[in-house]
Amino acid sequence: MTNTGFVFDVLIPVGKIVAVILYPMLMTIVMIWLERRVVALMQKRLGPNRVGFQGILQPFADAFKLFLKEDIMQDQADPLLFKVAPVLVMFSSLLAFCFVPLGEPIRIGTYQLTLWIAQSPVGLLLVLGLSSISVFGVIFGGWASNSKYPLMGALRSVVQILSYEIPIGLTVLSVVFFARSIDLVEIVNHQSQAKIWFGFMLPVSFVVFWISAIAETNRAPFDLPEAESELVAGYHTEYSGMKFAFFYIAEYAHMVLVSSLVVIMFFGGWLAPFPNVPAFAFLKVIPGFVWYLVKIMFFLYLYVWIRATLPRYRFDELIRLAWKWLIPLALLNFLVVALIRYIL
Amino acid sequence: MNKVSRFLKTFFLVDILRGLAVTMRFYFGRKITIQYPEEVQPSPERFKGILRLYKDENGKPLCIACKACRRACGTNCFDIEGVRDPGTRTMRPVKYDWKLDRCTFCGLCVEACPTTPKSIRFSEEFRMATADKSRLHFHLEDMYLKGKDLQKFFQGGSKT
Repeated sequence: MTNTGFVFDVLIPVGKIVAVILYPMLMTIVMIWLERRVVALMQKRLGPNRVGFQGILQPFADAFKLFLKEDIMQDQADPLLFKVAPVLVMFSSLLAFCFVPLGEPIRIGTYQLTLWIAQSPVGLLLVLGLSSISVFGVIFGGWASNSKYPLMGALRSVVQILSYEIPIGLTVLSVVFFARSIDLVEIVNHQSQAKIWFGFMLPVSFVVFWISAIAETNRAPFDLPEAESELVAGYHTEYSGMKFAFFYIAEYAHMVLVSSLVVIMFFGGWLAPFPNVPAFAFLKVIPGFVWYLVKIMFFLYLYVWIRATLPRYRFDELIRLAWKWLIPLALLNFLVVALIRYIL
Repeated sequence: MNKVSRFLKTFFLVDILRGLAVTMRFYFGRKITIQYPEEVQPSPERFKGILRLYKDENGKPLCIACKACRRACGTNCFDIEGVRDPGTRTMRPVKYDWKLDRCTFCGLCVEACPTTPKSIRFSEEFRMATADKSRLHFHLEDMYLKGKDLQKFFQGGSKT
């Protein structure tokens, strides 16, 4: 009896913690490979295909190179902030994963293994808040570098995230109004009961959220904070070695996080598709975790696809898009959703 | 009307979806990458690779040691000596030294060559890297090397 107690009380929580740290790292490795290959294929190139089968070991080669690189900090930098910035970015991305449900609870005998670390009644707020903390890392990094291009990148990042947090908040509200909860697990459960995913109920919310999410993760076509043609590499120009790798991993972890949020809020998290069609009932045999992975892989692919397609926005266009289009649209959408919800 | 349709087009992200379709078509389309060590780009007709001496169909050297290439050369790459072959009474080179590190690939020697077909010509070989500077000095037998033998020569293999 004590033996099982040890397993349930110690081993499983520790295992979960390890998994939550490893999962974004693994996804980063997959994403680096996926991004380089897919962008190359979309540009009529082949991309890295020499290291391992079809270049699958290329990220490991990159990581190995970064491990061996000299860690440089220039004399003029602010030493404390310079070191804190990459940690802060990484920390906020990894911590947010604690609240992301990866699948339905698995029953082992009498024990219920939940595929999330914490189910919080304010999970959605926590995740959004934590993902916003990473902007502090970006600002600190840009400021502490004491160099003009990182500073420009950091400034752009601040303006961009301030602009795009608003449409994100408004579209999240419309989902919350339908689910009547800001608990991420509850939102998925509600979609399971409603037998329709919010993405099909609230298409405008989804599109606005997705555009804003691309802007918040600093991805093309909104990658102005790290526009390499203008700002060398943006806020992490002065970073090298593992500190740079932290920024890099955190960016991809953030993408995975945002994709997870989209999947949970708009596309039913771990639910199997076509809940209403009896012919597709066999899809429910596949575990929820797999469905969740398939769905987030689609959105991660969409990130890369969009990056390969669209040129970068000019900065004033970016701000105009947020304030003159997305925010009014999100407000209107929110108003309509609230009215419908009030009547129903 | 035009304004309205333009607004609708922008609002429903028509152009962005079209762009995504274009990249998707490229994604499945033919790739233009040539994977270098395995595949080599076909060289153009008048490609100026490394200079080579050629032989005729019977395996006899074409060069008649007239030294026209040596006179034409702007950078003094050549050092040629020939003797008259007693049987056929034609001149044949016994010494044909050529310095790759001096050559500018101008092609004057090829133009000057009087034999038909030309004895000295540009080959299609463009891989001329070597770690040993003495490998840039060619002798008579090296001038006929090509392909793998030439690479072996550059890598410091036996001077065949």
